Amino acid sequence: MLDTLRKVQIIQALERIAGSEYVSTNPADLYIYSRDMTIAEPVLPDIVVIPGSVGEIQAILRLANELDLPVTSCVAGGNIGGLTIPLKSGLILDLKRLNRIIEVNETDMYAVVEAGTTFGQLKAYLEKHHPDLMYTYAFSPPSTGIVTNCLLQGLDNLSFRYGAASHWVSGMEVVLPDGELIKIGSCAVSSIWQSVVPFPELTGLFLGWQGTTGIITKMAVSLWPKPEFAISMTFMFMDMEGADKALKLIARSRVPDDLIGTSFALSKIGKLAMNHQKASIFPAQLREPDEPEFIVTAEISAHTEKELNAKTEYLTEIVLTGLKDEKMSGPFTSPSSTASFPMQALPVLSGGGGLMWVGSYGPLSKWLETAKRGCELQDKYGITRSCYTRIMLEGHFAGLRWMLPYDKGDPETVRRIKALCDEQLELVLRTGYVPYKTPVWAIRRLEQLAGTEWVELHRRIKQMLDPHNILNPGRWGAPAI
Amino acid sequence: MALENVREWLYGCTRCGTCKSFSNIFEPGCPAGERYKLESYYASGKQLIARALAEGKLSLSDDEMRERIYACTGCLVCQQICGVFHHEHIFDIVQSVRTEAISNGFFHPAYAMIYYGLRSEDNVFRKPRNERGEWARDLDVKKATRQKVDVLYHAGCLFSYEQELWHVPRNIVSILQNAGVDVGIMGEEEACCGGKAYEIGYSGEFAKYARHTVENASALGIKTIVLSCSDGYSTMKNLYPKINIVPQFEVLHSIEFIYQLIQTGQIKLKREVPLKVTYHDPCHLGRHLDPGLYDPPREILKSIPGIELIEMERNREKSWCCGAGSGVKQANPELSLWAANERLQEAQATGASALVTACGWCERNFLDAVREYSVNLKIYDIADLVRLAISP
Repeated sequence: MLDTLRKVQIIQALERIAGSEYVSTNPADLYIYSRDMTIAEPVLPDIVVIPGSVGEIQAILRLANELDLPVTSCVAGGNIGGLTIPLKSGLILDLKRLNRIIEVNETDMYAVVEAGTTFGQLKAYLEKHHPDLMYTYAFSPPSTGIVTNCLLQGLDNLSFRYGAASHWVSGMEVVLPDGELIKIGSCAVSSIWQSVVPFPELTGLFLGWQGTTGIITKMAVSLWPKPEFAISMTFMFMDMEGADKALKLIARSRVPDDLIGTSFALSKIGKLAMNHQKASIFPAQLREPDEPEFIVTAEISAHTEKELNAKTEYLTEIVLTGLKDEKMSGPFTSPSSTASFPMQALPVLSGGGGLMWVGSYGPLSKWLETAKRGCELQDKYGITRSCYTRIMLEGHFAGLRWMLPYDKGDPETVRRIKALCDEQLELVLRTGYVPYKTPVWAIRRLEQLAGTEWVELHRRIKQMLDPHNILNPGRWGAPAI
Repeated sequence: MALENVREWLYGCTRCGTCKSFSNIFEPGCPAGERYKLESYYASGKQLIARALAEGKLSLSDDEMRERIYACTGCLVCQQICGVFHHEHIFDIVQSVRTEAISNGFFHPAYAMIYYGLRSEDNVFRKPRNERGEWARDLDVKKATRQKVDVLYHAGCLFSYEQELWHVPRNIVSILQNAGVDVGIMGEEEACCGGKAYEIGYSGEFAKYARHTVENASALGIKTIVLSCSDGYSTMKNLYPKINIVPQFEVLHSIEFIYQLIQTGQIKLKREVPLKVTYHDPCHLGRHLDPGLYDPPREILKSIPGIELIEMERNREKSWCCGAGSGVKQANPELSLWAANERLQEAQATGASALVTACGWCERNFLDAVREYSVNLKIYDIADLVRLAISP
């Protein structure tokens, strides 16, 4: 924490930059920005500042760089993994005021958005002004930031087709820790933000780094033509072996836009939540003997009804033929899950103020072993089986996590979750799955696994871009605090 | 309601942020959050503050922190958007922190004025009790305390004491009389409904006025109470039953009653009122009710010859709050006027020349904002236009 005199001087300087009403040291603000919905330990920041322009961000970073002042940025407030908890205190840089949709290029199919633009905003904007185009959406509240989702390589409802969210970034504007402003991609050399190739892919200096190397102030993201018809096809499996086969089979069909699997028990929790009831994973919702173990859902879209029918027929045929020996039921069709936007995350937000998970990306070849053991660990702790998986990039990898909506006011649940997550982290690391939106405790574990050279490379990159280690210190590229 | 009473709801919010914007249109919803941008001003932040207070991690002694709690207009946008199990209790949590503040001896000066006004004069403005009926002094209207009436018109504190708004109760009485309704008023014997006391945390005063209103009406044999104060209306309709005081009379807002009278043919709207208007849904007639009174005002406006109704983008259950509610007008006039101006700008963008509403607090705040920001927009209560359409 800052000493009083230094703090007063910094506050005055920040007030000159952003205006006094956007600078706060009030205990309530510090408390709120010190924690997130996960079990990550809270750390109080010293000051919260909410800049209103790129110029103000540059000025704030220049000041912070000069004073070796830690800066942790955030957008929506609904954070996870402790990623916006300021491990070394210092400044919280709340970017929500920079929320303009600067451009939608109808022909080149991209949108340029500011750092604070949310999924909800972009969806509403496209529906109003560009109804033939769509963006993807995350399995998260509509208030989630688009830029942060890309920065953190999130999984979205078009990830089966296009991969992690960082894969569809086609340009960026970044403020470096010394206040310098740079552009990456075609926008650096023209007014069009269509691509980050054919250049050295400098996006890799920032995407995935959790805001430790620069503050992304603008980003171009791909948009896609919006199909008129969409449907969900669901198959229920009595065991995970059947689900595993289905995921692999459907992935190779190249038919769906999105391919998701969930523990049936998680859907029972989801039903409670949708009925506005508390839906915590503890005590466990047990599976009845006649209930399935796992649900596999394929989201299918088409431009015509004929195309939609052909796709559903094909998928039905390959699943029923290829998995004829499995204990399963389906397909059950229902309106596309995109219809549940913006409340699609409600089932995991109703546990009692908390949501936790060990999330990871890994090979489909190791999916069954990992998912199954993860669920068995949940049994061990008396916690509802809550596996959630999304097949990425047409089966080239998978997102895998166990959703843990929990009651923050119940110490016993918190204790169990901590212990469970420790074990699930070790499990995924053993099977080749890598934690994403990586909490700091998982970063340290990955560094141990990767070895000195890998760690040193990260340190050198971080040192080059952020020599004073001011941006979100203690995470990627920086030593532990 | 103390923090202890809302303990089961304190761990509902994950601070996911969904409540910040109206669903589907994703336009801003929370006046305080939008004005100040700090998380502590949004509903989710306030719930975290309440949780921290309950856990002893924050203290109510911090003046600026209490300002955040007072900067809630009780518009219930957050409750309407949130789907989590505690969502119907979000304002209860805010209200409980306000009550807790009072219990701990932290009196907001503006709220203390309301409190002492109630204690000494039975109104929230601390105006003389014997001036409460001034608005109707020259009207030929029955006194319900002296003569039996079918319908009691309850003017409420605001319409009784704000001379600039007297046109509203006067127009309502005139409209009802014109329609042949046997209507009476309480005049200087009317008392506050207690709603404002509830919102700012004086639970005891609220209960006192709730009991008084119900017992008094029962003693007079009142079967129907009509209000054009939307706060008073939702207080009687929603809040009294919350503390197990159930009115034994029908509670109607004037727009409901007028709409009924139009449908039965007792009110005939014949005269043309050539005006392009937009309608502002008061929170207390919308989100505070289930279902909200969204259609009657629109149907009334459509029934008036010459009126062209144009909707704002944020309408009905997605209506932006005027900014006056829950004591914000008194405790934080800057926020209150800012919120009103946001709405006026939205209204102007429709091309309407007038904003129509059905709530005195909304009208008061809009009138103040029109002056403060020099906005070229007329402000009407719906009764004004009905009165014009049935005159002479």
